[in-house]
Amino acid sequence: MIRVAHYVNQFFGGIGGEDKADMPPRLVEGMVGPGKAVQAALGDQGEVVATVICGDNYFAEHVERASEEVRELLRPYKPDLLVAGPAFNAGRYGIACGATCRMAQNNLGIPAITGMYEGNPGVDLYRRDVYIIQTKDSARGMVDAVNKMVTFAGKLLRKENIGRPAEEGYFARGQLINETADRIGAERVVEMLLAKLRGEPFESEVARPVYDRVKPALRIKDIHSATIALVTDGGLVPKGNPDKIEMITATRFGRYDIKNIDTLNPEAYEVSHGGYDSTLVRQDPNRLVPVDAMRDLEREGVIGKLHDTFYSTTGLASIVVIMKKVGQGIAESLKAEGVSGVILTST
Amino acid sequence: MRLELNTVIIRDIQFADKTMVSNGVLHVNRSELEGLLLEDPRFSRVDIELARPGEKCRILQVGDVIEPRAKTSPGDEDFPGVVGGQVPVGRGSTCVLGGAAVVLSDYREKREVGKSTDPSGEIIDMSGPGAEASIYGKTYNIVLLPTPSDGTNPQEYQAALKIAGLRTAAYLAKAGTGITPDATEVFELPPLTEVKAGFERLPRVVYIFQILSLQFDAIPGEPVLYGRNVPGIVPALIHPNEVLDGALTSPSPTLNLQTYQIQNQPIIKELYKRHGKDLCFTGVIVTTAPNNMTEIERVSNMTATLAKYTVGADGAVLTKTGGGAPELTMAMTAQLCERLGIKTAIAMLHMAADVSDPRYGATTIFSMPEVDAIVSMGVPFMRLTLPPVERIIGRAGASAEGPVSGEIVRAINNIRGTLCQLGSSRLKAVRY
Repeated sequence: MIRVAHYVNQFFGGIGGEDKADMPPRLVEGMVGPGKAVQAALGDQGEVVATVICGDNYFAEHVERASEEVRELLRPYKPDLLVAGPAFNAGRYGIACGATCRMAQNNLGIPAITGMYEGNPGVDLYRRDVYIIQTKDSARGMVDAVNKMVTFAGKLLRKENIGRPAEEGYFARGQLINETADRIGAERVVEMLLAKLRGEPFESEVARPVYDRVKPALRIKDIHSATIALVTDGGLVPKGNPDKIEMITATRFGRYDIKNIDTLNPEAYEVSHGGYDSTLVRQDPNRLVPVDAMRDLEREGVIGKLHDTFYSTTGLASIVVIMKKVGQGIAESLKAEGVSGVILTST
Repeated sequence: MRLELNTVIIRDIQFADKTMVSNGVLHVNRSELEGLLLEDPRFSRVDIELARPGEKCRILQVGDVIEPRAKTSPGDEDFPGVVGGQVPVGRGSTCVLGGAAVVLSDYREKREVGKSTDPSGEIIDMSGPGAEASIYGKTYNIVLLPTPSDGTNPQEYQAALKIAGLRTAAYLAKAGTGITPDATEVFELPPLTEVKAGFERLPRVVYIFQILSLQFDAIPGEPVLYGRNVPGIVPALIHPNEVLDGALTSPSPTLNLQTYQIQNQPIIKELYKRHGKDLCFTGVIVTTAPNNMTEIERVSNMTATLAKYTVGADGAVLTKTGGGAPELTMAMTAQLCERLGIKTAIAMLHMAADVSDPRYGATTIFSMPEVDAIVSMGVPFMRLTLPPVERIIGRAGASAEGPVSGEIVRAINNIRGTLCQLGSSRLKAVRY
């Protein structure tokens, strides 16, 4: 008999509406509210042994603490599975369901399942960590959602192979997995071209990515008094690579002092980048980070000042979200240091 | 142009007094072959090892892989401009030792970190999951391990290594020329401007084949097209049979593209298979991937214009070699083709695999509405755990990650023959 724990909010737990949204988690033995649908779906395979009810505000405002409290309440009941929600389109409830599922997986070591509508903010916050079944936007879809969730949870419990998101009805978790197709790539690409030429429908195997649009900053009003910084993704670092910037799929950047330095000395630098032939850069680092040329411009009064620090990271097979953080880190630092313009050099 | 590929299937391999093929067994005279390769003054010593499928054996620092082939029709030359003289290939007959492969293992002790001439850390396993995933884990491999002579620089060594591989491929296949082949394939197209009766209504399809990436400096003296390296080449229209018959070899560093796969070019073979039924195959445009935007635009424009106004293509298949700049060049070329009215489909490895965020889950570095037909050939960063082996072939110089004979974990990217930029594998990345 599978021992199932269920998480619901104050509304579905029958405690009250917004007025009770600040209540901390409490445990009720057996099933409550939508727990009946969960029990019905389980049939004689399992039993809802405990239900935790928590206010939406309380959870959303104290995600870590609330997760721990739920964990401690459930621990004595030794559940085999956590079912959370479904939360449909309720945002705070969705966050609570995602977080309790993650807690159950990571801290209780049991599978967990929840369900949400595609617009629920909990989807984007937790889809990478937990399986979220796609539901309708309101409780009218309760029975259908719970049936899907319980059926899917059975696969998790039995450690069966999980099919593709569209087949199984969960939100894609973002992992790219290599599979063996029925035909080789060459056959598939010719077939796809022929379908396109015939005007027949075809399905691209790689989705077009969505990239942010970067709005250019306003022009520098007075370049002659501006402080200009040098930033590169070509992986130039001091000898020994003190910040351990990775040669591929970098996760960090370094900031290196060039105050009073007229030209970069090749003896003092190395390159941490595996995507281009860095021979020329190692012979003359100024050709990647043009300190020598910038000093000339500084002397000639073309620019006000070359910034005392240059910034470096490695752009190779980079992950967009990580590079976004690296870029934000560099930009915030430059802004705090009073830099008004940047020359970015890439390889 | 008519090309006949006569394949003798190799079922075992062994060293012997005389190089010959007998009952499907390839006998190799080790000292004769070593002597032949030592004619190149860039080597001080040449070691040769054999690796059979199923052996608990791991080959290290693998560079290019080449299928043994020799021309058999009168007046023809093997790998023109490298082994033989400047004679066109793609016609007549060629002997193929199917199931055998010449594997180049970089046998230098030292490497210069960060240079494109560094030995690769790529391996071939002859048994276990690594062998299962790779085409070269299933071939009978003749592994060449040449030591550079004093004063030979890394680029000279790499060029010499490639030439040694091609010479060996021709030398071995010569031994199969008198044997009745197990299979014969014929590749024949009329002059590309001729449209046979009944073909008028078929879409004219061209293949745009990126053969060289300029992300890394091209190695002087390394043969790529008819014996020459071609970093400055303009997009050129060539006959598909020339590609299949040794005019073209894979440049270093061979990024998921070996000469073996060019000799067995899967897209050309598929276009041939469909020729006269679903399409009219109108040739191959070979092109490069430059390393700067101006050149990328120049090459893309010239390629699209050639495809549209010289070839008169209705459709184009595109592939790339290498990483980011090649991907951008391929996509921009496809976009320009689409704007000229040529329908396109591309096939690629997802080099910029972003596995961390489904919303920004970019697996292409371009985002062009016109480039809407993309075939996935897998993500390269999937890891395989490879069990210990009993025998190591090659030097471990580039693999500084502990004892290479023990259990190791490698991305499939680093196991030669698991991934192919030309779509010879059935791998496909699916988002979960």
